[in-house]
Amino acid sequence: MKKLTFDYYMQIDYSETVSSCHFTIKCLPKETLRQRAENVKVLLSPDVPYSMGRDSFGNAQIYGWDDVAHTTFSFRITGDVYTGLDRREEQIDEDMLAVFRHPHGLNRAGEGLFAYHEKLAGELPADAYERALFLMHRLHEDFVYEKGCTDVGTTAAEAWELGRGVCQDYAHILIALLHMVGIPARYVTGMISGEGASHAWVEIAKDGFWYGIDPTNDIPVGDDYIKIGVGRDAADCLINRGIMHGGGSQTQTVRVSVNEERKD
Amino acid sequence: MRQLDLLKHTDTVNELLARYGVKFGIYKNNEFKEQLFPFDAIPRIIAHEEFLFLERGLKQRVMALNLFIKDIYSKKQIVKDGIVPEDFIFASSGYMAECENAMPPRGIYAHISGIDLVKGKDGKWYILEDNLRVPSGASYPMIARELCRRSSPDTFHDNHLEDNRNYAGLLRHTMDYVNTGGHTVILTPGRYNAAYFEHSYLAEKTGAHLVNGAELRVKNDRLYYVSVDGSLEPVGAVYRRISDDYLDPMNFRPDSLIGIPHIYDVFRKGNVALLNAPGNGVADDKGIYYFVPKMIRYYLDEEPVLSNAPTYLPFYEEDMRYVLENFDRLVLKDVAEAGGYGVVFGSSMSKEQKEDFIALLKREPRRFIAQEVIDFQDLDIMDDCFVVPRKADLRAFVLMAEEPLVWKSGLTRFSRNPDSFIVNSSQGGGFKDTWVLSQ
Repeated sequence: MKKLTFDYYMQIDYSETVSSCHFTIKCLPKETLRQRAENVKVLLSPDVPYSMGRDSFGNAQIYGWDDVAHTTFSFRITGDVYTGLDRREEQIDEDMLAVFRHPHGLNRAGEGLFAYHEKLAGELPADAYERALFLMHRLHEDFVYEKGCTDVGTTAAEAWELGRGVCQDYAHILIALLHMVGIPARYVTGMISGEGASHAWVEIAKDGFWYGIDPTNDIPVGDDYIKIGVGRDAADCLINRGIMHGGGSQTQTVRVSVNEERKD
Repeated sequence: MRQLDLLKHTDTVNELLARYGVKFGIYKNNEFKEQLFPFDAIPRIIAHEEFLFLERGLKQRVMALNLFIKDIYSKKQIVKDGIVPEDFIFASSGYMAECENAMPPRGIYAHISGIDLVKGKDGKWYILEDNLRVPSGASYPMIARELCRRSSPDTFHDNHLEDNRNYAGLLRHTMDYVNTGGHTVILTPGRYNAAYFEHSYLAEKTGAHLVNGAELRVKNDRLYYVSVDGSLEPVGAVYRRISDDYLDPMNFRPDSLIGIPHIYDVFRKGNVALLNAPGNGVADDKGIYYFVPKMIRYYLDEEPVLSNAPTYLPFYEEDMRYVLENFDRLVLKDVAEAGGYGVVFGSSMSKEQKEDFIALLKREPRRFIAQEVIDFQDLDIMDDCFVVPRKADLRAFVLMAEEPLVWKSGLTRFSRNPDSFIVNSSQGGGFKDTWVLSQ
């Protein structure tokens, strides 16, 4: 077990004044078997009232309407999370499981990825969990981590053709492969220990529970991970979504830090 | 049946319809054009007993469809029990995961359903398709009846038929039944929508406010109407005439300019009713159509009263074989298309087209359904001074409140082209009033 302290900060700077905007933020640590959060604080700027709710995947969301003219919009979410409380992530909701068995949106494969799966078909382990780990290892070997060549709308098919991408692309491709081998899989957003940006990984269904695996780092999810949201693909659990009147061009800055609390 | 006097007034009625702006908007080559929806004065007449039969079948069907949608967005028992294969739900563009775990007020999903039927030459009625998203068309027979009564009162004095002018009252009741507290509004995308006439007409007749997206606003988990003086008045029911995709840019298509940000979040919290509920596309997909008789047996434990047109799913190997063997006498429909598009007749394809189509069918079997071509009855229409036969269908409207209610009328559409089986109004046909005899 670890106690992690996190600080998620996101800022959008606009070249022109935004007269009003609508926002939805899905950035609160999820309560799971593996992790428990406390002292979570939300800070919005401009400081406007907001509502709270849950989306259809059970992700907590903060949403509202900001009619204070501004050129910078930001939010900061901080808190402590106890992690590594269990290896299992969450119990599977059997009513929703089928949703994670079928290709959708950004996790759709293309011909290249189907061919890759064909190539691996002979080597696949019989056990589902082993099969998932095998695919993760192979993907990690055969795909290159590189920033800037893909974006938030890149599909698994497109990223695979490029042969390179970031954590979001690793996750989408692995989900596509898992669908092909009959394993329900879902996309996860979250944070990992250290300084940087948000992270994304994959959960697979096994014996009634979800288990996290991280294809970008080629490891099962452990106690350095703070989970935020789940969905079929990245679009289902975007950390922030907004529409605004005015604004011109925008620059987005994200700073995430996750540190283990030192024991005295 | 005495209709002769009415027929003399065909031109007058059409002129009045034009004056009232009863038009159908269409986009062709990216240009918006309004065309008149030609009215033919010879009514379709449905005998009293025959309509009682239709009514039974339609109620049953809409009950089952509602239960299906509710099941799909919660327990999915029908899938677990193997009645409907998973592929037909989760690979369908009509299924929206966003609608999981969001129960609409009183559990009703399809409040206003437009069920399309045809009467075969064998005298039997067949269901052609279910429209559970934003079915339009009720306003046309409503206003036509009104104008016909005005032009030829004697016709209606001499014939005993059901008054169809009660639709507004039924619709109002349907909206009030699910209203969570506040105004009832009809949400229109605006005057460039194909059915704008209908939106404004129904608003006028039901006494609901006609609003566009900019006039509604979400605040503190409630939906409000922004009145002229800027004050906010709560809204409890929205009969929305815009599709799911465009309804809420924060939950669905982010580029929608006609929607209301966060309206779906308010709905999810049970603070507003949306008619029809989002997500209904999962039940009126052409692929799901095949399963409706199975749904009726599954949920209601009854035999379907009304039949589907004989339908095959190439998704099943056995059906694929049948389709390939009987290709020339079947009609093939792309499940993703609507409005009479994506419909091809095996018999009308050249050898080359046929080969291409079969290759596509084998590659994407889930995408198509095949149906026997139903030889449906012609109805007489007036073409200048001649009476000529044309193919026609019937869109029946079923409203769901405490229980399903079938409107004793409907929209009868006919094809303009004598050889065409496609009666969709976006492809330029006309319409008739539908008379249901009261005795």
